[in-house]
Amino acid sequence: MSLIQQLNAPFLYLVCGAIILFIAAVSLFFLIRAYRAGKAIGMDTAKMKRAITASATFTLLPSVGILLGVIALSGSLGTPWPWLRLSVIGALHYETQVATAAAEAVGLNGLSASQMTAKAFSTICLLMSVCIMWGMVLSVIFNQRYLARLSSGGSGGKKSSLAGFGDLAMTAMFIGLICAYLGSYIGGFVSGGGLFSFGGSWIPLAVVAVACLAMAGFLWLYEKKNAVWVESFSIAGSMLIAMAAAVAFGAIG
Amino acid sequence: MTNEQKQAVFEQYNAKTHRYGRIVSVVTLVLLLGAPFVIGRYLGALPDMAAFGRGFLAIGLIWMVSSVAEYLIYTPMLGAGGGYLAFITGNLINMKIPCAVNARDIVGAKAGTPENEIISTLSIATSALTTILVLAAGVALLIPLQPLLQAPALQPAFDNVVPALFGAMAYKYFRRNMDIAILPLLVMSLLFTLVPSLISSTSFMILPSGALAIFLAWWKFKKANAEAAS
Repeated sequence: MSLIQQLNAPFLYLVCGAIILFIAAVSLFFLIRAYRAGKAIGMDTAKMKRAITASATFTLLPSVGILLGVIALSGSLGTPWPWLRLSVIGALHYETQVATAAAEAVGLNGLSASQMTAKAFSTICLLMSVCIMWGMVLSVIFNQRYLARLSSGGSGGKKSSLAGFGDLAMTAMFIGLICAYLGSYIGGFVSGGGLFSFGGSWIPLAVVAVACLAMAGFLWLYEKKNAVWVESFSIAGSMLIAMAAAVAFGAIG
Repeated sequence: MTNEQKQAVFEQYNAKTHRYGRIVSVVTLVLLLGAPFVIGRYLGALPDMAAFGRGFLAIGLIWMVSSVAEYLIYTPMLGAGGGYLAFITGNLINMKIPCAVNARDIVGAKAGTPENEIISTLSIATSALTTILVLAAGVALLIPLQPLLQAPALQPAFDNVVPALFGAMAYKYFRRNMDIAILPLLVMSLLFTLVPSLISSTSFMILPSGALAIFLAWWKFKKANAEAAS
């Protein structure tokens, strides 16, 4: 049996599938608890259902992108391990980078199926797990104290002066996140092929523009035409339109 | 139910969330760290700890710093239940954070309130379950789906999932907060243009970009308060 056949053996599916099943059960448990707690404190169940629907539709398209990550890694690591990594704790942008760096660290010339050995594989798996586990470790140690400290927001006059800023601060942080990514697309286009060469890819910027326009259309329908149903699907719909446009842009450029 | 009773119910829920969150995080850590050894034993080759040590020094420390930054930035956005779940299930920047922010926005929940905590947990749990289902279906149908998903004509669509996501989110959030968004966008664009090598470290650049946006938000908040007072 070749190594890649061993990496796709039913035993590996069993190990990885069992862990994924555990995480699915945990997610379901947290979902049910939150829903019940929401009802107990008098939250509108229709709003909670809208949040669930919107989150499910929102996640569908990026999940297909993540599936591509599984496919990309399955050539060298088999299917079960990338399936586990990208279902639990992992991140699309992280896994490929770390798997490649881990392969180099164990002496391979990159993530190559032809050079992979069983020892290299198990070492790469361990490195991939250890490198990304720190968010979970920090959550276990600090989450309760960190959140308690944030919700207290200082004392006396400081607390009252901070009241109401928390919501704006969260929005601002998210805007900062978006700005960093949009800035990287602009920088990539202007200087990606050499400083001020305008030789980088224009497609991400064009996709951003189409997604903005699509979102503007959905919000117009929601706000001006009272199409309430649109709101839950506006992000997923905008992404779908922008991704379809990316296919057309890809054909042009 | 009075407000005090509601608060008591929520505080009890929150305390249990921390307890359950810690337990499942520790169990998940044990499973994830144990799996390479179980698989290695099955393959007849346990991990090479010397190579692991070298690899960790080469790449692990960088990701450790990144994880600390992610933890500090995202935990306040996610709350208790959402935070534990998001760090267990991953894909924070490209999925869980925008998903939770979008859900919060749709139902109009304010940061730091019990509603925000509940909505964030509902959103991230739903998102995690959806991803697990899509990946499980995808893996089950891998052979018939592979030619379609890997068709060269469709690659630009899958290469641009994140620009499509942030394009849509940008319109939604920038239109009411242009005064907060414009300067970080200009600064980031300039930085990435002048130092293109930073593009590979975009996730690290969220920190200064977010800090600048929060500073501008604070200035806007103070100004609005001063105007209201006068």
